[in-house]
Amino acid sequence: MIAQLTDAMQQTQALIQRVRRINAHFQHVDLGIEEQLGDIKPGQSLLVRQTQDWQPYLREQWWPVRIAPNLVVVERPGHIKYEPGEFISVLGPVGSFFRFRRSLRHVLLIAYDTPPTPLLSMIPLLIANQTSLTLVLLGEAAAYQTDHLAGQVEVIHGGADLEWEHRIMTVGLADQVFAVARPDDEIRRFGDIWRMFAELRADIRKNYLFGVFQSIQPCGAGVCQACMIRLKQGTALTCVEGPTLDLSQVQL
Amino acid sequence: MTIEITRTGKDSLFIDTPVMPAAGTFGYGDAYRNIVRVEKLGAVITNPVTYQPWHPANGTRVIPLDAGVLVHTGLPNPGISKVLSQYRTMWSRMPVPVIMHIVATTPDQVARCASRIEAEEVVTGIELGLNDDTGSQSAQDFVKAVLRNTQKPLMVRLPMQDAYELAEPVAQAGAGALVVTAPPRGTARDPYSGRLVPGRVYGPLIRPIALRMVGHLARRVDIPIIGAGGIHSPQDARDFIEAGARAVQIDSVTWIEPKMLEIIARDLGGLTVTRASDALADEWYLGMGESTLARRRESMRAEDD
Repeated sequence: MIAQLTDAMQQTQALIQRVRRINAHFQHVDLGIEEQLGDIKPGQSLLVRQTQDWQPYLREQWWPVRIAPNLVVVERPGHIKYEPGEFISVLGPVGSFFRFRRSLRHVLLIAYDTPPTPLLSMIPLLIANQTSLTLVLLGEAAAYQTDHLAGQVEVIHGGADLEWEHRIMTVGLADQVFAVARPDDEIRRFGDIWRMFAELRADIRKNYLFGVFQSIQPCGAGVCQACMIRLKQGTALTCVEGPTLDLSQVQL
Repeated sequence: MTIEITRTGKDSLFIDTPVMPAAGTFGYGDAYRNIVRVEKLGAVITNPVTYQPWHPANGTRVIPLDAGVLVHTGLPNPGISKVLSQYRTMWSRMPVPVIMHIVATTPDQVARCASRIEAEEVVTGIELGLNDDTGSQSAQDFVKAVLRNTQKPLMVRLPMQDAYELAEPVAQAGAGALVVTAPPRGTARDPYSGRLVPGRVYGPLIRPIALRMVGHLARRVDIPIIGAGGIHSPQDARDFIEAGARAVQIDSVTWIEPKMLEIIARDLGGLTVTRASDALADEWYLGMGESTLARRRESMRAEDD
């Protein structure tokens, strides 16, 4: 399993410092964070409440796209209004960070019927390590606008049938693959991706093809167990051992 | 302050603060170690445990509701042997009693669980969670199965739909205390799949129903009652005590606002402060005092001006 148990979460607050519209559908929100959240790493997320009321009841899962000292930039839908200067309640970090192979030349990112937001926080890290990146947007994900992404990221648009141009070459080049799928039917969609890779590669070894799960998180701390995923051997909590799980271990 | 939360006897259970997490909302005791100071609680109730391992439920597990949530987990757990071996050391360092929640599967399996727990010094008591379809006779059989195999204090968590019916038979069978009640079962439509999903319902709207039950049952049974259901604030918890509960269990608010569990415990533990002059900033409520972020906001405003 790629993920490792991380230290327990913190409950703190964050300050909305800046809001930037990045395209027609999304905005980036700069969050000033307290020191105790400073250890958040790519792959981890935050559970956020903006209200003291009980509606909505559950916290929203906010995915960082850039992490800097005392600052986390998150990507949020463009139709929601955020005010600079507003304090929000934050639980986090949730989950474990991305783990990469030591000798990594090329990483393939796949977004299948969902925006690639949970994958984006690894981009600055990989670019800094001179790893080449390809982002494949499949199905409904093809509507995601990518102008704000770093120029080093190769973007490919594909169909809902998991087909894209030069697919065999793209898959063959990848040292590691990270995929996100629409949360309401993640297991089936990850199964589709797994079968597609099984057709294209002679074998899929461990620590190669990963799913980044976006299950609804009532607690984010592993206590409610609502996000538990069945593995071929045992189980995993996506809020603690995830969100990134090796699909070769998951019961798809 | 010491509170006796099970019936008086040589094996009665005493706690210092009448507040504890409800089963299934606090894990096995260490998940919130950076947020909740466990020593401020009265006890720790573990996640539900069965004799055999249980797997997670298939399909949709969580459906957000208006001011609440429906959760359907299937009570996954690795079985009592593995839970004990995994958490025994951690529980031995717990500053408060650890009460293990056992799911009422069959009388035989419950008896085996009780027997295992009897041999564990680190577990102070048992909470038996009865299922919704448990009849009076069956409930008594479960209670007796536990008591035949352990001297440890036994609390029985009643299902909401049968709480009135089961309270007296369970008390007569020898239970040390009643937990009133488990989160009710409900059904909600999953907006994505379109399917109806059963599960347990959590949220503040449960509170008035549970509060009425506590008030009613406190007059009918002669064993302590622990109030549970939809408590989201110190005042909510005080309401349960006023209605006759000896102590309270805090459920889903711990998932949403983990600090609230400690705030309620401190409040009911007699440590209520409004703003003591020597209180540390942010010690009691988020945003109460100065913080680095507050200073940063001030500097943002100054720049705007």
